[in-house]
Amino acid sequence: MRRLLGRGGLVLACVVVVVFSIFPVFVMVGTALDPAANAGGRGVIPSGISLEHFGRVLSETRFPSYLLNSLIVAVVTVVASGLLALFAAVAVARFRFSGRTKILMMILIVQMVPMEALVIPLFLQAKTLGLLNSLLGLSVVYIAFSLSFAIWTLRGFVAAVPVELEEAAYLDGASWWQMFWKVLFPLVAPGLVAVSVFSFILAWNEFIFALTFMADDDMYTAAVGLRTFFTRSGTDWGAVMAASSIITVPVMIFFVAVQSRLSSGLMSGATKG
Amino acid sequence: MSSPALGSARRPWLLLAPTLAVIGILLLWPMVRVVVLSFQDFGLRELVRGGAELIGLQNYRDVLTDERLWRVALPNTVVFALVCVVLTVVVGTLVALLLHRLSPGWRTLVTMAVMAAWAVPAVTGTYVWVYLFDARAGFLTGVLGQLGLVDVATQNLFTERGWFYAIATLNVVHHGFPFVAVTVLAGLVTIPSELPEAAMIDGANAWQRFRHVTLPMLKPVFAIVTILSTIWDFKVFTQIYLMPGGDGSNREVLNLGTWSYITAMSQNQFGLGAAIAVLLTVLLMVITAVYLRTLFKEEEL
Repeated sequence: MRRLLGRGGLVLACVVVVVFSIFPVFVMVGTALDPAANAGGRGVIPSGISLEHFGRVLSETRFPSYLLNSLIVAVVTVVASGLLALFAAVAVARFRFSGRTKILMMILIVQMVPMEALVIPLFLQAKTLGLLNSLLGLSVVYIAFSLSFAIWTLRGFVAAVPVELEEAAYLDGASWWQMFWKVLFPLVAPGLVAVSVFSFILAWNEFIFALTFMADDDMYTAAVGLRTFFTRSGTDWGAVMAASSIITVPVMIFFVAVQSRLSSGLMSGATKG
Repeated sequence: MSSPALGSARRPWLLLAPTLAVIGILLLWPMVRVVVLSFQDFGLRELVRGGAELIGLQNYRDVLTDERLWRVALPNTVVFALVCVVLTVVVGTLVALLLHRLSPGWRTLVTMAVMAAWAVPAVTGTYVWVYLFDARAGFLTGVLGQLGLVDVATQNLFTERGWFYAIATLNVVHHGFPFVAVTVLAGLVTIPSELPEAAMIDGANAWQRFRHVTLPMLKPVFAIVTILSTIWDFKVFTQIYLMPGGDGSNREVLNLGTWSYITAMSQNQFGLGAAIAVLLTVLLMVITAVYLRTLFKEEEL
């Protein structure tokens, strides 16, 4: 067994895992760069390298405005849910009050409710409130769905800040809010980065609400806007893959960078103690 | 906290107020609303004019007596989810065990590739698999043809329920295994290396060490990844909806999520769609409750 999983076996296993993991992205980017993408070839190795599909997507279609819509929705979601979750996390991590455990459990259970099950009532609610076809309406939904995870994550970060630091701030004459912004906020910043990545990705990638809320194709987000490349006369695969690469690759780099820094940070923190 | 400096008793509620408002208006109220809707005859007319008639359990009766539920949507949901959860957890755990054995440099490299799989959005990832399994021209359709599994000239894999869900399984497992791998790896590094070493000296083989040392120690970790995978795989929507035929044009491949959505949004039968959504949620809650009971028995929160 030991010999079987020796050096050669390990390398082979690594290769299999790496190839399997990056295969779809490789195909996505490869097809996006392949000038013959729409010629009906069967290979996954591009026949050449060209930026023509990217050029077409960015200059001849409405995809750039879809990207802007996605960016606005994601930024609003990140900022609002980060702040709200931080407030709530401080409340549950720093104060003992009756109902605290119940609220924590409620927040946990609410996270279990499938987003998909609430599409119908939220669609009707948004219609009544005139929030369909609005970037704000969509952001508000994403804030609601990212809060629960953010609160549970930040709660740990807030609890890890020594109470002595807060008390030192009070001794220096700080008010509660001064202490919050000057002491607590910088110390939980890594946690805020983590939850921001999560809520950004949720808002950036979400499909079902973006599809349901945005009837007007001016308001499509990037994920929904990809559908416009599938037409009755056929699919412009070069454009689909170029647009998909634009959606996927920046987020992927961001995610991999933050995640590896975050986990190494958590690891070093864990072993230092 | 007993420190008087921490302020008034009102402060925690002040801090919680915006969160509770958002959760109340956007999650709790719609939960009530979806249940109410499921007892109403809510169609296009009610959408335009407002007001809806309560019709008791009629929507549930319609759903539960529809042979599409028992023959199509329920198997497509439950069997698919079970297969996906098992495969996701097994593949994720194997990758975690592999990562655990690697030197730090290799581990970082492979972890980055695994993270890359995680970061692919469901929408764009699904389009890639659709492209790869495209009838006639798809690369993987060609591979399956070479293996003699598919007749490339005549078959369109997406029109066949079995192949449709096999492709969806590949998509969902590919998207889901990185979370399991990273979470299990985080658990593995907490196990003191003396334990498996002691087991090895006692003559335990790799499987026995996993079964009797790793598994019991990481039970909470496995419980979490299994619960979350189950929740995610039962309510898969995007990956199905975006595949050819998944948007309702092929009724054989509907699952509970897409069936509910199409009933409400395409056919304007909001009450009936809500009833299906409620059934899906209840199914999920029952499964989660069973898991949580076993989890909380062992560990106090």
